[in-house]
Amino acid sequence: MKEYLLTKFNEILSELEKVSGVKEGWEDFLIVLAKYEEGVKESELQKSIQNLFEIIPFEKVVDGIEYLEKIVKNFPAGYVYKQICCVQDQYLKEKNNYLTELKNVLSELATPTIRIWKDVVLLPLIGTLDSERAQSMSEKLLEFISETRAKIAIIDVTGVPIIDTVVGGYLIEMFNAVKLMGCDVILTGIKPNIAHTLVKIGIDFNMVIVKRDLESGLKYAISEIEEK
Amino acid sequence: MRVVPTIKLFDCLIVPIQIELNDSTVEKIQNQILNEIEKLGINTLIIDVSTIDVIDSYISYMLLETANMVKMMGCDTFICGIQPQVALTLAQMGIDLKGINFAQDLEGAFKLIKRMRGNSYEGKGIFDRD
Amino acid sequence: MKEKESLIEIDPKDYDIVVKIKDEKDIVVARQMVKDFAKRLNFSLGDVTKLSTAVSELARNIYRYAGEGFIFVREINDKGSAILEIVAYDNGPGIKDLNLAMQSGYSTTKGSFGLGLSGVKRLMDEFYINSKVDKGTVVIVKKRRRNY
Repeated sequence: MKEYLLTKFNEILSELEKVSGVKEGWEDFLIVLAKYEEGVKESELQKSIQNLFEIIPFEKVVDGIEYLEKIVKNFPAGYVYKQICCVQDQYLKEKNNYLTELKNVLSELATPTIRIWKDVVLLPLIGTLDSERAQSMSEKLLEFISETRAKIAIIDVTGVPIIDTVVGGYLIEMFNAVKLMGCDVILTGIKPNIAHTLVKIGIDFNMVIVKRDLESGLKYAISEIEEK
Repeated sequence: MRVVPTIKLFDCLIVPIQIELNDSTVEKIQNQILNEIEKLGINTLIIDVSTIDVIDSYISYMLLETANMVKMMGCDTFICGIQPQVALTLAQMGIDLKGINFAQDLEGAFKLIKRMRGNSYEGKGIFDRD
Repeated sequence: MKEKESLIEIDPKDYDIVVKIKDEKDIVVARQMVKDFAKRLNFSLGDVTKLSTAVSELARNIYRYAGEGFIFVREINDKGSAILEIVAYDNGPGIKDLNLAMQSGYSTTKGSFGLGLSGVKRLMDEFYINSKVDKGTVVIVKKRRRNY
């Protein structure tokens, strides 16, 4: 195979350019491929494949490989495809790691716990509440209340687009847990349409003090604290 | 018979729970508390659970039961020191500890007691009316 | 696991932890072992608390209603994520009306919030119960480790 590749090098290269639209990357690949019969490291082949993927779209790379499969005798198709799978798997792993990182950053950003006054903390909830987020936000809020010895927690839901029975349930659990720590809850930021829906579906937040918005909630909290 | 160490402060009885609560110990603790309430003229019971890292429905019920017992003797109950994770677990299980007051620590409890009694530690329990 | 005449077939060898519940202090043992196990498996603090609480409930049910029984615990690997499985097994009197028992606040005995089973179900990811009168009860719960 090595001889064939080296003698027909330029021919093959220009065919590959026709099939895949690009010449770069293939040179490197062919050179590495030529070493195959003598023994080439997997990592070396994977590197040249990675290089190809960076230059040419996936389908075109496969087109090129299929072409090589046809014209090159003893082309180690199985081996090459295996390396392609490894490279793709590597990409997938990196992508997943990146996604997890993004998720973490998002979670941090979306759940700031703020000490807004003496003994008063504020949790502005932003985004949809699923089971995981509800859990981590509740934990974060409760730990923060413990650290700061807060007596009042203002929980603002202006940024929560949907509050249905499930989300309502998570919120009620959060409120009850906060109260078990001897901290009062002021709920703010329920928009008109949500207020409408909540009553229709039978959710009530009667275990907490509800104020229209952050301003009135804060005013109330401060007056309570100054009294205590 | 003293099963757990208790502290009297003003007319409040502070009971830190540091031993394992089971059927026999709970009974003894409840009796000790009721007797001390009578002997020492206690108006408020403060149970400190800050060293307990798991509170299940049994413990919850025992606490509620104790609060109801001391209420029969004119005492109100505070539970202080529920750990964050324990609080969340209790809330998620849907356990309702009705009639009990909560505080994060003893200082918080006393501030609340003082406020409830019209700014005096001594004398009246919150169930007393003028 | 198959259900034949017995409630369920359990081979202790399949499990990482086996605790016999006979005395009240065995409840504490089961709780502590599950807590340590979950911690070692890197479950979050919140989940460790939930698991400890769940096993405390289940072990106490065994103690109170059946007199004796077993708690089995093991780690299951499912598609790369770790799951902690707890099995509570006894040959006690069984539960007559499961639906009623699963309601919150239901209790046949006066001194409790009931079986606490509805609470356990809310804490766990998976919940399975089977009970036959005069044969016994088996409860299987699972919690998946979250990779935050």
